[in-house]
Amino acid sequence: MVSSVYLHIPFCRSICSYCDFCKMYYHGEFVERYLQSLKKEIQEVYQKEPIRTLYIGGGTPSCLHPPELEQLFQIVSMFDLSEVQEFTFEMNPEDITEEKLVFLKTHGVNRISIGHETKNDAYLSILGRKRCVSKEDILLVKTYFSNINIDLMYGFSGQTIFAFIEDLDYVLSLDVPHISTYSLILEEHTKLFISKYQRLNDENDARMYEILREKLSENGYKQYEISNFSKEGFSSFHNLTYWNNEQYYGFGLGASGYLSTRYTNTRSLDEYEKGFYKQEEEVVSLSDQMIYEMILGLRKVEGVAKIKFFQKYHRKIEQSFDIIEMLNQGLLEDTGDFIRIPKDKLYLENSILIHFLEVKNYE
Amino acid sequence: MGKEKNVRNFCIIAHIDHGKSTLADRILEECGALSKREMKNQILDNMDLERERGITIKLNSVEVSYRYQQEEYILHLIDTPGHVDFSYEVSRSLAACEGAILVVDAAQGMEAQTLANLYLALENDLTIIPVINKIDLPNADIPRVEEELIRNIGFSKEEIILTSAKEGIGISELLDSIVCRIPSPKGDSAAPLQALIFDSVFDSYRGVIVTIRVVSGTLKVGDTVLFMETGATYEVLELGVSTPKERKKEVLQPGDVGFFTASIKNIEDVRVGDTVTLAKNKASTPLPGYQPMKSMVFCGVYPVETSKFEELRESLSKLKLNDASLTFEPETSKALGFGFRCGFLGLLHMDVIRERIEREYNIDLILTSPSVIYHVNLTDGSTIFVDSPSKFPDRGKIKEVLEPFIKTNIFTPSDYIGPIMELCQNKRGIYQSMEYLDEKRVNIHYALPLSEIVYDFFDKLKSYTKGYASFDYEIIGYQQSDLVKMDILLNGEVVDALSVIVHKDFAYLRGKAVVEKLKGTIPRQLFEIPVQASVGSKILARSTVKALRKDVLAKCYGGDISRKKKLLEKQKEGKKKMKQIGSVALPQEAFLSVLSMEEE
Repeated sequence: MVSSVYLHIPFCRSICSYCDFCKMYYHGEFVERYLQSLKKEIQEVYQKEPIRTLYIGGGTPSCLHPPELEQLFQIVSMFDLSEVQEFTFEMNPEDITEEKLVFLKTHGVNRISIGHETKNDAYLSILGRKRCVSKEDILLVKTYFSNINIDLMYGFSGQTIFAFIEDLDYVLSLDVPHISTYSLILEEHTKLFISKYQRLNDENDARMYEILREKLSENGYKQYEISNFSKEGFSSFHNLTYWNNEQYYGFGLGASGYLSTRYTNTRSLDEYEKGFYKQEEEVVSLSDQMIYEMILGLRKVEGVAKIKFFQKYHRKIEQSFDIIEMLNQGLLEDTGDFIRIPKDKLYLENSILIHFLEVKNYE
Repeated sequence: MGKEKNVRNFCIIAHIDHGKSTLADRILEECGALSKREMKNQILDNMDLERERGITIKLNSVEVSYRYQQEEYILHLIDTPGHVDFSYEVSRSLAACEGAILVVDAAQGMEAQTLANLYLALENDLTIIPVINKIDLPNADIPRVEEELIRNIGFSKEEIILTSAKEGIGISELLDSIVCRIPSPKGDSAAPLQALIFDSVFDSYRGVIVTIRVVSGTLKVGDTVLFMETGATYEVLELGVSTPKERKKEVLQPGDVGFFTASIKNIEDVRVGDTVTLAKNKASTPLPGYQPMKSMVFCGVYPVETSKFEELRESLSKLKLNDASLTFEPETSKALGFGFRCGFLGLLHMDVIRERIEREYNIDLILTSPSVIYHVNLTDGSTIFVDSPSKFPDRGKIKEVLEPFIKTNIFTPSDYIGPIMELCQNKRGIYQSMEYLDEKRVNIHYALPLSEIVYDFFDKLKSYTKGYASFDYEIIGYQQSDLVKMDILLNGEVVDALSVIVHKDFAYLRGKAVVEKLKGTIPRQLFEIPVQASVGSKILARSTVKALRKDVLAKCYGGDISRKKKLLEKQKEGKKKMKQIGSVALPQEAFLSVLSMEEE
């Protein structure tokens, strides 16, 4: 049963130098056309299941004008939200206004995710972002929402440990219940990549990650995934559907979803309007499902639940993957109920996950 | 008789990049062997590798016809490689010719290797037609090059033909000279068959395709041939020539260069250099063949995936078919498993073979550090020959070690004498003499251990002289040297495939350089790896590959999932190309990093 929806709004007022998501400059006429097509896609694909988690991301969904937001939320009302648990809306700091917050609050949104990234002006300008979130912004958001996420980025060229701690302390001072962090990734075709930007060396990057985990833990945040930390009870249900290898709808230009197959929509507005939605599709066999179960599940600090694996696939994890040696080498831990990556090895997970790309004794 | 009067067999001798292959293309074009549409550049270099590197590695032959003064002539062009490592191929093609075109670049003049091949040709009594090519170049210095040919080799000005293969200038004049000056092959078509095998390739449908030059006698389809050295007999199924498209023939006669097939599945039966005769009317003696080249450089060749050992044997056998200079025998390494000890003519030869196996047979390889053959006199009075560090005996058993020395001919503009001498000194060279060829060019002679050449001598020479110097060498014999075996330890374990034999005085610097190089080549892994170099129990150098600190996809949300799997698959693929030795994964380059000799 599919009960999660990701909805993509590709429009932005400015383009960030590191962003490789599907995005385009805000243009009133395109927004109009796009929302029409989005509606059509949902009508054609959505099977009326009750939706427990809904995530509107981008792009910059918060850059839409109030009438456009009206239209968007009319589309959202097509979903059965009678059992909704978590409804997240992404906002850029410069879009935080009382008017928009009230609108979102009254239209069912119960979680705000803020693209803050860094307080450092030099880094903001490298990223091509307008501004970071202010204490006033946060106060305003807190007036209407208790479930708030802030994105924090690190790993800039030449970033010192000191500068990083400053950035981190600022985010801590905002006292929000959820923090997503990540080390800058240079994706192909982005402005940063093309300009041959040199990111921070791995040594300092790894040190920052250690400091991050230490400080967040001291401040009452629990790490539940490689890059995600929350106060008790504030883990993101929506994002957990990804790491739990559960199915979800992905609607909109360039959006990805997992129904019976894993698919990614076209990034061409023309194609999308013509109703050619899917651009790539990966057939997921039962053994692929097991692979995904592990490579996604092991991102979670708790790891993969043995019993859940058995219920889903009718075999034990060790029957599908050679984990004994990794357990012996200390690359994996068996807690009794879960198989997980030890905390100090999480930042090396790729070298561990490459052992989970083939299922043994299986067609 | 009479037919071979109108046959001309010739080859082209030239330095790399002096335009040999382009010239060959023009000759084919002029003779109408291929339509314009079929001409793709450098027809004869038909291996991808040859086209990419712009060098000719294997020889090829083509037959074309040319009309001169109302008479039809058959021209056999036999292409030859130019690099020093491939002199063997050159001597093979020379044995099949009566004449040679000597191509010299109008800007660069004569190069050392060209000269060496020219002497080979003269030894074979070939008629030489000197050609100055690339006369269209803006920096062409025709008078200087003419002067060089006249003064150094003794041609007369009238003999020299000026061409631009690129622009098609002088090609018909050259073809006319081939007809007029190169003698037709002599041979009695009624005598017993004697045909020299100078090349062969394996075709999975037709078996071995044997390329021969008929010296005397006649070969017809249906004849039963005898390979005189191996004693094998086969019935000839097809005869033909390459024009360069294959053209079937019924008969091959003296002077003809062509091929035959006989459903030969056993590669071992066909040896390049052997003589083919008829089983019924045997020739009394085989042809002299040519001097087999001896392998100079040896190294271990191992499949990355141990299961591909048999495939590797197969591919080596097939390559050996037309490359008799390649030798191999099975060996085992504790670190690498089953593989082969292979002998090569030089480093380029080694590199070419590695690339051909990887590309044409799709086997990823690990090559161990190259070695020469050492003569080791033991305390018990016996002598052993060591071509691999793993066979190097314990120090206590060694009385003395001898290693092969070479004498160099380094041709260089005089500006670079200083740097070259310094290079040679650093390579344990012993200065012998120096000759001025003219006001600006010298030939420097050093005695050098061959083992020093197999490392980075070529590269260094080129970089010290901005590419101006060229180099060849001859083996002058074995001399005593103070050599030791240096081991490399990873994580405290000796990796046999990384051991090298070095001069005692150089061991410390070498050890330091290798350890540093390995530190740079071994990717960080989940744990720290100590890297050490030792002689006996003495540690000469140590370093550490630090543990991996970050190997993670920082974010992974809905849109990243399929891509994450692909990234992991790519990473796994990369890891597969590495060799797992104990708990350490080593990339292919690591095994060659012991070659690195940065003495700084």
